[in-house]
Amino acid sequence: MTHTRQDTFDVAVIGAGMAGMAAALFAAERGLSCIQIGNGGGILFASGLLDLMSIHPLAERRKWGFPFDALAALALEQPQHPLARIDATSVRTAFNAFVAALGKAGLPYAPLGKANSDVLTSIGTIKPTYGVPRSMIAGVKALAQRPPCLFVDFHGLREFSARQIVSTLGDSWPAARFQRLQFPGTEAVPELYAAHLARALENVETRARTIDLVKPLLGDAQAIGFPALLGLEHSVEVHAAFEAGLGLPVFEIPTMPTSVPGLRLLMALEAAVATRGVSRRHHSTVDSIVFDDETATIGLIDSPGGERVVARTVVLATGRFMGRGLVADRGHVSESIIGLPVHQPTSRNEWHQRDFLDPTGHAINRAGLLIDDSWRPLDAAGNPAWPHLFAVGSILAHQDWMRSKCGSGLAIATAWAAVRQITRQLYGDCDKAGEP
Amino acid sequence: MTPALFRIALYGSLAICLLGLLWRVSTWFHLRVGPDACNVTVFQRLITAVRGAVSVTFSRGLVHVLRAFFVDVVFQNRLFAREKLRWLGHQLILTGFTGLVLVHALASVLAGKLSPGYQPTLDPYMFLRNLAGVMVFVGIAMVFAGRRRQQTGFPQSRRPIDAIFVALLGTILVSGFLLEAHKIASPRAFYRMTDQFIGTTDPEELKPLRALWASEFGVAFDDMGDGIEPAVIAEGRELHGDACASCHAKPTSAFISYTAAKVLAPLSGALDEARADTWLLYLHLFACFIGLALLPFSRFFHAVADPVSLLVNGAAREREFSSAGRASRRALALDACVHCGLCDSSCSVGPLARHLGNPALLPSHKIVATGAHARRRLLSHGIGPDALLVSEGAFQCTDCGRCTTRCPVGLDLADLWEAGRGDLAIAGLPAPSQWVQARSAFAWAESLDSRSTPDAPSAPLASDRRTFSHCVQCQTCTNVCPVVAHSIDTEHGVDLTPQKVMNLLRLGMLDLTLGSRMVWDCATCYQCQENCPEGVRVTDVMCELRGLAYHRLGSVRNPGGPS
Amino acid sequence: MKFALFVGCKIPSRLPAYEISTRAVLGRLGVSLVDLDFTCCGYPARNISRDAFVLAAARNLALAERAGLDVLTPCKCCFGNLRHAIRFLGEDEALRSRVEKALATEGLAWSGHTEVHHLLPLLARKVGIDKVTASVRLPQTGMRVAAQYGCHALRPSNVTRFDNPMAPTIFEKLIRATGAVAINWPRRLDCCGDPLHEANGPLSERITLAKLADARQSGATTICTACPHCHLRMDAVLAGSTSASAETGTEIKTLLYPQLLGLAMGLAPEALGM
Repeated sequence: MTHTRQDTFDVAVIGAGMAGMAAALFAAERGLSCIQIGNGGGILFASGLLDLMSIHPLAERRKWGFPFDALAALALEQPQHPLARIDATSVRTAFNAFVAALGKAGLPYAPLGKANSDVLTSIGTIKPTYGVPRSMIAGVKALAQRPPCLFVDFHGLREFSARQIVSTLGDSWPAARFQRLQFPGTEAVPELYAAHLARALENVETRARTIDLVKPLLGDAQAIGFPALLGLEHSVEVHAAFEAGLGLPVFEIPTMPTSVPGLRLLMALEAAVATRGVSRRHHSTVDSIVFDDETATIGLIDSPGGERVVARTVVLATGRFMGRGLVADRGHVSESIIGLPVHQPTSRNEWHQRDFLDPTGHAINRAGLLIDDSWRPLDAAGNPAWPHLFAVGSILAHQDWMRSKCGSGLAIATAWAAVRQITRQLYGDCDKAGEP
Repeated sequence: MTPALFRIALYGSLAICLLGLLWRVSTWFHLRVGPDACNVTVFQRLITAVRGAVSVTFSRGLVHVLRAFFVDVVFQNRLFAREKLRWLGHQLILTGFTGLVLVHALASVLAGKLSPGYQPTLDPYMFLRNLAGVMVFVGIAMVFAGRRRQQTGFPQSRRPIDAIFVALLGTILVSGFLLEAHKIASPRAFYRMTDQFIGTTDPEELKPLRALWASEFGVAFDDMGDGIEPAVIAEGRELHGDACASCHAKPTSAFISYTAAKVLAPLSGALDEARADTWLLYLHLFACFIGLALLPFSRFFHAVADPVSLLVNGAAREREFSSAGRASRRALALDACVHCGLCDSSCSVGPLARHLGNPALLPSHKIVATGAHARRRLLSHGIGPDALLVSEGAFQCTDCGRCTTRCPVGLDLADLWEAGRGDLAIAGLPAPSQWVQARSAFAWAESLDSRSTPDAPSAPLASDRRTFSHCVQCQTCTNVCPVVAHSIDTEHGVDLTPQKVMNLLRLGMLDLTLGSRMVWDCATCYQCQENCPEGVRVTDVMCELRGLAYHRLGSVRNPGGPS
Repeated sequence: MKFALFVGCKIPSRLPAYEISTRAVLGRLGVSLVDLDFTCCGYPARNISRDAFVLAAARNLALAERAGLDVLTPCKCCFGNLRHAIRFLGEDEALRSRVEKALATEGLAWSGHTEVHHLLPLLARKVGIDKVTASVRLPQTGMRVAAQYGCHALRPSNVTRFDNPMAPTIFEKLIRATGAVAINWPRRLDCCGDPLHEANGPLSERITLAKLADARQSGATTICTACPHCHLRMDAVLAGSTSASAETGTEIKTLLYPQLLGLAMGLAPEALGM
C-alpha cells in the first residue's frame, strides 16, 4: 500500500553526505520543515577534519596557509567553481554554524580562526586543514613545537601504527617515541577495531585501566598521541579523563578510514538534524520525482509499501560517483535520479589524463551539474530545470574537491548558500523564524 | 463357557492388567526426561512421592487434593471450560463405561450383593445397561466429531495397540447388544428356560406362555400362527406370573437390544441353529478380557494416569517441586496425555508446522517423541530422519505456553518441552546454532562434496551477486558489530567478521561462510545493515546464510535427513 | 482507535504483566483492542526457511485484514518480523504468489492492507505525546530512566519506520511525558544480547552486562523497556549473575514502559501486573 504524507515539507534533501547533512541542518535552523532521504554512510569515510581550501591552483600544487586567501584567488581565477560563487562572510558564517551544531551534539571543534592548521595523518604525514576536532588540537600544537612526545598504539589494532608515524616523522621530530600496549581484556583477540575500543573506553573501569597502563610510560613526554579512539558518543568526557589522568595534553590522530572520527561525525550530524526536527529516511531509494508548479512529489522505495513525500523545494545532494549522484557507463556520465544534463568531457578519451597521478587532476573529476546563481541545476537549454530544484555539494561541476582539499568547504558553503536562497524563495528575504 | 475356562481367562487377563499397571506406574519413577532427571535415583523419586503423598494427606493441602478430585477429576472442569462438546462426550463415555462396569460386569460382586433381588433381565438393570451402552456410543461419536473440527493438517500420531483397543471396545459394546438382542428373540433360549423352570419344552403345552412372550417379550417363534386369542394370552400371563416374572421384566426397556431383536427376528431361527448365543458370549467375554489385559499398554491407561496427574497438580498448588518430583511428574505426564489434540489446535507454531511439513512441531507429536526418546526408541538406530524432524520441532517451539494453558488434564507441557530439548542436545540433536558451531567454518566447507549454490527462492539476496557488488570493504559493518566487539577470543568468539563474510560472498566462496561462527552468533541487531554506507543488506544475508547452512550442512551431518 | 492486539509468544507465558499494563494504559487513552486467533509471527523459522517465516507472518496479517483492523504489538521482535514479512512480500513477486496460495488453503488472503504498529510509536504519534502527557496524574519525578530502544523495532529503519535509527527520540519523549528524567546513555541503541543467548551464552551475557554497566554509569536508576525479549534478558542477567551485581550494582531495575506510564496515570500497581 502507498502512504501519502499529508504534510508538505518546505525542503526535501536527497542525500546524506556532508552536503546533505549541512543542507538539512541549515534548513532546520532557519525554521524550514525538512525531510532528508538517504543514509549518511559517506561521512564514515571522513577523518573528522573539515577542509575548506588549501590547494590552488592544482597545476601549481600551491598550498595556502590561509584558506580565505585561497578562496579569494579562486574567485578571480575560476569564477565557475562553486566556492567562487559565495562570499567569504557567508562561508565563515556557514562554517561557524556547522561547527557550533557539532559542538552541541557532543563533538566540539577548536575555535575557527583565519589559518589552516597542520595535523598528523595516520601514516605520519602532515595535512593542512581548517576545522580541527578539539580532541586533536593538542596535536597541532605539539606538531608545531615538537616537544618530547609519546605515541601510543595497541596490539591487534591494524588501523593505526605509532611505529609507522614515528618512523615517517624521523629526524623531523627526534623527541617522538612510540609504545605498543595491550588493550585491557583483549589478550586473546588477534584483531582489534578502533570503534570497539572507543566504546570500551566509555566504560569508566576500562578507561581507568588503560590510563594506568600508559602512566608508567610517560617519561619526559610533554604530550601523548593516541589513535582516534578515545570514546565515541562521550568522547569529550573520555578525552578529558585521559588528560586529567595522565596530567598531560592528550591528542588523537585519525586512523585509516573508516575511522572513529568519521563515525563520531556521522553520529553528531544525525543527532543534530534529529534534535532540530528533521524527518529522516535512511536507506530509502528515490524512485521518482514529479514536479508540478508548487511542489515536488518524491517516490521512495525499499520500505514496506513504499512512500510518497511532498515538498515545496528539493535539494539534490547526492554526491558524485561514490554517492551515486552521478553514474557513468562506458561513454557517458549521467545524473542518476532526474536525468539532468551533466557537464562532462565530450568523449571518454578526455575523461582522464595520461598520467593517473597528474596533479592537475582529470576532467572527469570536474564533471557535474551546472547551476544558475540561485543554485538551481540547468537543463539542456541552459535554463533552471525546475524553479524549486536545487543542487549542492560535490555533484556540482567545475570543482575537484579531493585535489583542492575543499570537500567540507564545498559541502558546507554550498548548502548554506542554497538554503538561504530557498528561504528567500519560500518566505521572502528573511528566515522563516523571522530573523534577517 | 465352562467356569474353568472363564476363570482362567478372567484371572489371566486380570493378572496381565495388574502387572501392566504396575509396570506402567513404575515408569513414573524410572523414566528419565530432562537432563536434571539424571541426577536423581529411582529410590529418591519413590521416597519423594511417598513423602509428598503423606505430607499432603496430613496438611491443608488435602483440601486442594479433594477439590481437585471433585472439580478436575470427576467434573473435568478444565475440559468443560474449553470444549463443552468434548466435555459432554467425555462425561458420557466415562459415566456409561463406569455404569457398565459396576452394574453389568461386576454385577455378581457388586449389584448382586447390594441388591438381593438383582437379575440382569429385570428393570432398572436392563434399561440402565442399554442407557450406559448408548452413552458410551454417543460419547465416542462426540469426541470424534470434536476432534474432526480441529484439524491441524496432520493425522494424530497413533500406535496400533490403541486402534486395537478401540476396536475391542466397539466389539464389546456391539457383541453385548447383539447378545442381548439375540437372547430376547431366541426361541431356543425360551425353551431352555421353560425346561429349567417349568419342566417342559413342549410347544403345545407352553402355547399360552409362548403367545404372551411372542407378543410382549419379543421372542421370534417361527411356528406361531396369527390371530392369538386374548384369552390365551391371559392364560399365559398367569403362567408367566408364577414361573417367569420374578426374573423377567418386559425387554422393551432394553430399548436398543429390543429394537435390534425386532430387526433380527427373521434370523433368530438361523442364529439359534448357529449357536449365536455361545459365540457372541465368547466374543463379548474375550473382548473384555483382552481389553482388560491390554488396558495398561494402550493410551487408555490415561484413565489411571490422568486422575493421578490431576491430584498431584492439586497437591502441588502451594509447593515447588524438587528435581526428583519434577522428574516423576514428567514421566507421569507422558502417560497422562489423552492425545486429545487440543494443544495442537492452539499451537502458536501450528502454521509453521504445516509450512515446514513437519508435524513434530505440534505438541501432541512432541509428547509422543519425548516419550519415545525417554524409552530409548527415538535413537535406537542412530540419528535418522525422524529424529531430525523431532529436533527441528523441539527447537522451533517458541515456549508460548498455550499448550500448557489449554491442556485439559493440566500437564506442565512447557516444562516437558524444555526438558526434552535438554535431552536432545545431549543426544547429539541440539539447536542448529549449537551443532553448526561444533565444527569450524573451514571443517564444514571441507566436508561439502560439491559447491553450494543458493537458489533464489530460499536465498534471493545471497544468490544475487548484485547484493554485494557495492561492498567496498570499508569495515563499517565490523566496526558497529556488537558480537565482534564483545568477542574475547577466537575459540568462543567470532571467526570471520561481517565484512569478511560479505567479502567471501562477493568472491563466490559461499561454502566458507555457512559454518561460520559469525553467521550463527549474529545477534541480528541490524547495526551493520543500517550503517552500511553502500546499503548492503548484511543482516538479511546473514539470516539467509543460516537457512542455507541449516539444510546444506544438515545434509552433510546426517545424510538422508531433511534437507 | 481500534487495533488487533498481537501479544506474540513470549508475553503471555513469560511476561504477562506487559499485556496487563498495555491493556490498562491503552484503555485509559481510549484505544480499544481486539483479540484475534493469532499465531507465531514467524521469527523462529527465519533461520531455517524464508518461505515458512513469511507464511507464518502473512497468516497473521491476513487474519487482521479479515477483521478490518491494523495490528498493534508490544513486542519489538514480532513488530520487526511482521514488517520484514511485509517488505519481502512487497519485493518478491514469486514469494507473494506462493504465500497467497498457501493462505488460500486456510481460506485466507492478504491484499496488503494491514499496518503493523508497535506500542511506542502508537503512543507517540497516533495517540500523541500531548494526550499521553495530559493523562499523567502522578508525575514520576525523580526517577532517572534509561530508554532501551531495542534493535528489531529500530532497525533496519526503512523496514520498521520506527524512528530515526541513528538518533531516535520517541522513547525519551514518552519517558519525559511521565515526569521522569530520560537520561542519555551511550549504549541505548545497542543489542540487549537476547537473540544470541542460545547460540553463545557467555558472549550474550557480556553484551548485556556492558549495557547494564553503561546505564548505571550514566546515572540511571531504571531501564525502561518496551519489548519482552530485552526485558527478560536484562532481568535474567540482573538476577542471575553475580558478576552482574558486582559490575552494575544492585540499584538498577527494569520497568516496562506501560508500567511507568500506568504509575504516572495513577493506576494501582496491581492493575499493571506489578
